[in-house]
Amino acid sequence: MDQLIESLQTIQEIFFNTEKMADAFPIILAAFPVSVFIGVGSFFLAIPGGLLLAFMKMAKSRLIRWPATFYVDVVRGTPLFLQILVVYFGLTLLPFYQDLIKAVPALKEPFLFGIDFTIYMRAFFVLSFNSAAYMAEIFRAGIQSIPKGQMEAARSLGMTTPQAMGFVIIPQTVRRILPTLMSEFILLFKDTALLAAVGVAEMTLRARELVASTFNQSAYMVAAGFYLLLTIPLGRLVGRLEDKLAESEGGGGGKRPPTLDAPAIDAEHVIAHSNGLPTTDSRSNPMTGGHR
Amino acid sequence: MSEQAIVRIKGLQKAFGDLEVLKGVDLEVTKGEVVVILGPSGSGKSTLLRCVNRLEEATGGEIWFEDTLVTDKKTDINKVRERIGMVFQSFNLFPHLTAKGNVMLAQQKVLKRSRSDAEKAAIEQLDRVGLSDKIDYYPSQLSGGQQQRVAIARALAMDPHVMLFDEATSALDPELVRGVLDVMKSLAKAGMTMMVVTHEMGFARDVADRVVFMDEGVVVEQGSPEAVFDNPQSERTKDFLGHIS
Repeated sequence: MDQLIESLQTIQEIFFNTEKMADAFPIILAAFPVSVFIGVGSFFLAIPGGLLLAFMKMAKSRLIRWPATFYVDVVRGTPLFLQILVVYFGLTLLPFYQDLIKAVPALKEPFLFGIDFTIYMRAFFVLSFNSAAYMAEIFRAGIQSIPKGQMEAARSLGMTTPQAMGFVIIPQTVRRILPTLMSEFILLFKDTALLAAVGVAEMTLRARELVASTFNQSAYMVAAGFYLLLTIPLGRLVGRLEDKLAESEGGGGGKRPPTLDAPAIDAEHVIAHSNGLPTTDSRSNPMTGGHR
Repeated sequence: MSEQAIVRIKGLQKAFGDLEVLKGVDLEVTKGEVVVILGPSGSGKSTLLRCVNRLEEATGGEIWFEDTLVTDKKTDINKVRERIGMVFQSFNLFPHLTAKGNVMLAQQKVLKRSRSDAEKAAIEQLDRVGLSDKIDYYPSQLSGGQQQRVAIARALAMDPHVMLFDEATSALDPELVRGVLDVMKSLAKAGMTMMVVTHEMGFARDVADRVVFMDEGVVVEQGSPEAVFDNPQSERTKDFLGHIS
């Protein structure tokens, strides 16, 4: 019994040292906006790219489809960490990049939260280009999951194709993919931690510095708390949205083939990531879903 | 050719790849007429209906709607579709809109009616199909039969000159079929021109002005319900009716 208490105390001392946590708190707190800024910024920057890739993948012409497919396959088929390393160190080797820095020295000045713009630029670049590849599949599957009868009904009422897209197909798509898109954001937000390895002063890097100087793990626990602050409420919201969606689509359009509701598993889907659309039977769980 | 014909189909052919579904169909529908199209599955009756508003492109022959050649690629098909209502087997209500919203959307976007005019027409048509107490319900909150009646109201609100019913009751549970058929019956009584593909023999007998029997992509036989049901001329018709009843 004493031994048990003693080992619990040791664990507490190493991981949950209140004094060390209190010391770490303001430092991690200061880095919290950096992580959020990079996560949110990359997410919104990825949306137009994802849409473009999605429409390219649905194009009739192979010449348009093929580059998008290639891009998505390469980005989803390689580790994000590898992509970060390539972009962070590779980009700076390009003459174009060096010229840019020379021409605009302000890029090297502190921009937001004491970090210079080139750091953010590279973070946005790699994360949004990565996320766009995942979003492309979400958008494409979303649009294609709307039953064909919806377009037919809209057209049979005299609507043009753009009208049918804008008033019938897209509104349904947005509702359907919103939970999946939010899960993608949660994944992206957690992935910002990988930037610690290339010196971006976000929460994980700050925590690692503290751990290195104090020989105590407590700072990591504080950082974990800050990640959970965002991911748990968002994860709950995703679940609620999925339930609402399942409920409202319960009797959507009579007897329709199940294949229209759940996009068929194809080669793209097999490469990592839970990007199946939310349906009653296959729920994407952002908190536990495997990724990348 | 009758002066009154609202839909004229001449030598209509439709093939999906190598599969010939329609092999030269001739059919005329006059104003106010209720034409019920019968036939075994795969006989091409749904395809025929879907060619009329060009949801399927004909591969040969002509379809005229009033004085417009529907099968002409240069025809503005959206203008034609405004005047042709269609009801589908799977209802195809827009799930993100209420019953009223479903009926209002195309009125506003296609006919450019004002919100209040569209709303007025929506309420009127939903009342007509017996759903005045369900106008603010979403499709998922309605039974299949109610959904199909909303779909009928949605088509009627466009003031169509002809209504196409593509197996409108086939996806419904038996106890819900009645309500939809009653709405269709009252429409027929009110003088609506209708082309109806159905398996409801009772409806065909009671409501049809003319019954058309199709098999393997051609019209095999047509005439009054009495003539076709009680005294079928073709062996194929006899065979089909024998299997049904």
